[in-house]
This record gives sequence, structure tokens and C-alpha cells, in this order.
Amino acid sequence: MIETVLIYGLVNSVTLILTAIGFSLTFGLSGIANFSHGGLYILSGYSAWMMMHYIGLPFALAAVLTVIQVGILGGLIYRAVIMPVRGIVLSEVVATFAVGVAILEFFRWRGFVTYDFNLPLFIKGSIGIAGVFIDYQRLFIIGIGLMLAVILWFFTHHTRIGLALRGMAQDEYTALSLGIESDWAATLSMALGAALAAVAAIIILPLGIISINMGYDVLLLALAVTILGGLESTNGLIVGCFILGYARVITGTYLGPEWMEVIYLAAIVLVLVVKPSGLCGKSKELEERV
Amino acid sequence: MLKINNLTVFYENAIALNDLSLEIGKGEVVGVFGSNSAGKTTLMNTVAGLTLHMKHREQRKGGERITIIGELNFEGENIIDTKPSYRVKKGIVLCRERHPVFRDCSVQENLKLGGYLRKDSNLGESIEFVYKLFPNLKRLSLKKAGMLSGGEQEMLTIGMALVAQPKLILMDEPLLGLSPLMQEEVVRAVREISKQGVTILLSEQYARPIMPIVDRGYVIENGTQIVSGTGEELMDNPEVKAAYFGM
Repeated sequence: MIETVLIYGLVNSVTLILTAIGFSLTFGLSGIANFSHGGLYILSGYSAWMMMHYIGLPFALAAVLTVIQVGILGGLIYRAVIMPVRGIVLSEVVATFAVGVAILEFFRWRGFVTYDFNLPLFIKGSIGIAGVFIDYQRLFIIGIGLMLAVILWFFTHHTRIGLALRGMAQDEYTALSLGIESDWAATLSMALGAALAAVAAIIILPLGIISINMGYDVLLLALAVTILGGLESTNGLIVGCFILGYARVITGTYLGPEWMEVIYLAAIVLVLVVKPSGLCGKSKELEERV
Repeated sequence: MLKINNLTVFYENAIALNDLSLEIGKGEVVGVFGSNSAGKTTLMNTVAGLTLHMKHREQRKGGERITIIGELNFEGENIIDTKPSYRVKKGIVLCRERHPVFRDCSVQENLKLGGYLRKDSNLGESIEFVYKLFPNLKRLSLKKAGMLSGGEQEMLTIGMALVAQPKLILMDEPLLGLSPLMQEEVVRAVREISKQGVTILLSEQYARPIMPIVDRGYVIENGTQIVSGTGEELMDNPEVKAAYFGM
């Protein structure tokens, strides 16, 4: 039993990281809460599916093209929808949420609601680890999740552009006075966040069917772990995902699957009561919060 | 090098700069002195392009109306409507007041960000020059900038500007909140930077510590120039002496 909890807890945690990292990265780098995250996630799934079934592309090529296309779309959403309301937080949230809902409901309207929509596994088969059977696709998710975390860390700490994005996130006017452009940085962070949503969709969605409601769930999950870990904190996001990932598996194993969703809400409420800035978030001054 | 002609800036109906004209020659160290709300920071931000950025941001979201009128002539080109990044490329770099640094980045990363727009491969040499100018920063190179003292942060702010290879450095109240010892250190650095041929426009409330290195100075009040002259001329003016030199 403990082996199952350890292995599936890890899978669950890394899946959560992948699901939320795009949302968290965009927020951390540009302060934009991209509520179209769930819509972009599902769009990626359908986009790859359509490229395979309508154009006949192999899955790997469809996956790469989807990530690029959704990344570009993320940047365009910033330019067309967010830029005009930049700085008005509520308007940013409403505008991005509207885009997300529009994407999801468009697919519902076009009839993408049957069980026909699913993506193939990258690697078929399964393996037994310490007596626990786990399919290769889930191991693939762990591998990609960890690789992505390393790549993102390297990008934000050791590349000129990554450093500039971090600088912009920390002090916009100092960054501007050194020649870094804030709209360019925000466009790039939206594009990166959207591309990461696509990566998550491409490797997680093959585990089941593509369902429109999943888009809303993904947005809620991303919000939950970002709030739990602490806004703007990548370390917090990872810690939050591991806590929730393992909490879900432990609850499902020992209490029953019906309690798995309750643990999310309980953890979020507890963190908000005990440490409102999140586990690794920095507490802001009162005047910054109001 | 920089000619400011009839510069006027309004925040809604409040006037921050009122028909201000100044001139900064190549290689000069020029001081702008004035009390709180005299318009020093608005002047610096307007020359660096930050006020224009604020104006566009406010325009987009229907917020405060900012008006900028006048001419900013830098090396023969009116840059009043250009983006901050364009001005940095042209060689105008601002050290903002209260030494804002990228707090979660290391000293080394802050300095690298200073050279963000540089295309050449000599960034390392510029960073070494900064370390030579401020040996303390070399010792602290891996430390997070947010953990530095106010004086060290001011050195880092100046260092970041230097890595950008400026022709004109704007220093907004570089001595604000620093101990006398740190003030001396910053004044020494300004003198050293000037020797390298960099033009410097700096603003201060309290002019005395900076006066020995200033070639010319302007005193502004309510956004308007009231007196100008060489350091000695300003020191000889009894009103200016009392108000800005603490004598």
C-alpha cells in the first residue's frame, strides 16, 4: 500500500506541477492571472487531435506544432485582449476568463463532446516498480515534468531573456530604465505560459478522453496550487503540488475517492487562514494588498 | 549633448514641470537642486522616458491624464516621444531614486541586467570595471541584492547603469538616505565616472556634499528654474545657500 502511495503520489504531484506551471509562470513573470489557461489547455488537446485526424500528421509533429501555435496564441491574447486593460487587475481577470470560456464553449458548440476525442499514448505498456504497476505514459509525465522544471530554472536564471523577465517581474520601472520593455516581457510570459499549458495537455490528456469540462477543472487546479504555494513563487508551486498530490492519493487510498476533492479545498482554506500569502509566498504590505 | 527646451509636465491638472529649460554639455556634471515636490524626479523620469510610459499606461486604462509638452534634444534628435528602451540604446540611463534594485536577483545578475541591450561580448569587462569602482560589490556578487545595505544598493544601481555603457547617466538623489561615509563613497564614484567621459545629470535636495564635483547647477522650485550657475555662483547666492546648502 505504501509503495502505491509513494509512486502514484509522485505521478499526481508532477501532473499537478505540469498543469499549473504555465499559469504560475505567467503570473510570476508579468503579474497576469491568465484565466484562459484551462481553455488553452483543452484547445491544445483538440488542436493536436484535429491535426492528426483532419490533416493526417503524426502525433509527435502535431504535438510540436500545437505547442508552437498555442504559444503564439498566448502572445496574441496579451496583445489583443490584455494590453488594453493592463494594470486593471479585475478587467484582466474578466478578459482572460472570457477568452477561456469562449474557447471551451466554442468546442462545445461545434460538438466536441463525444468520447471520440482522445490522444494516443507516447509510450505504450507498463512496468512493475516495487510491486506496483505503472504505465510508461505516467513515467513519461514524471520525466517531462522534471525536465521542464530544470529547463525553466535554467532559462530564468542563465539566459539573457529569462533574466530580463525576472527583472521585469521584480521592478518594472527599474527594468524599463535599463531598456527592458514591459509589454514585450508580458507578451513573452503569456506565450510561455500558454505553450506550457499545451505541453501539459499533450502529455496528460492521452491518459483519458478530452472533455471540455476538464478545462474548467484545470483552471481551478492551477489556481488552487498557486494560491497554496504562494503567488509568484515557483518553489511554492512545487511544494504546493507535492503536498496536494500526495494528500489526494493518501486520502483516496485510505479514506475513499469521494474525499479526494475535499482535501483540495480543506488545504486551501487552511493555508489562507494560517498563512494568507501561501506556503512560500512573500507577505505583502497591507497597502499593496488593498 | 542634452538640451531641454520649455519642458512642461502635468499630472491631471497639477503641474510638475513648468516651462523648464536646461542644457547639459558633453562630459559635464550638472546638478539639479530643489526641495520636495520641486519636480526633480519628474524631470529625471521624463528624460529617461518613464513619464511617457506612465502616460501611455494611464491612457490605455483611462486613468490619470499625463501631459508632456516641450522638447528633449539629445545629440540633435528630439526624443520626447520615444520609448525608454530607445533612449537606453541612445545612451541615456537612469539610476532611480531610493536605489531600486532587482531584490531577488544576485548582485552579479543585477549587473548583467544592466547590459541587457548590449550586443557586444564585453559585458564581463564592464562588470569588472564596476567591481573595481566598488570593490564591496565583488565580495557580495553572489548575494541577493535585496539583502544589501542602502549604500551598497546605491553602488549597485550606479553599477547597473554603468554596465549599460551610457553616454549620459541620470542620477536621481543618489545620496538620499545614505550615511556620510557612504555619501563620500558615492561622490568619489561619480567623480571617477565623470573622468571616464560620461556625462552626468544628478538631482539632490541637499547640495552640499555633491557640490565640489558639479560643474554647473540649476535650482528648481515648483517645476520652474529659479537660479542657475556654476557651483561657486550658486554657493555665493545667499538664498540658495540657506535653502540647499545648509549654511
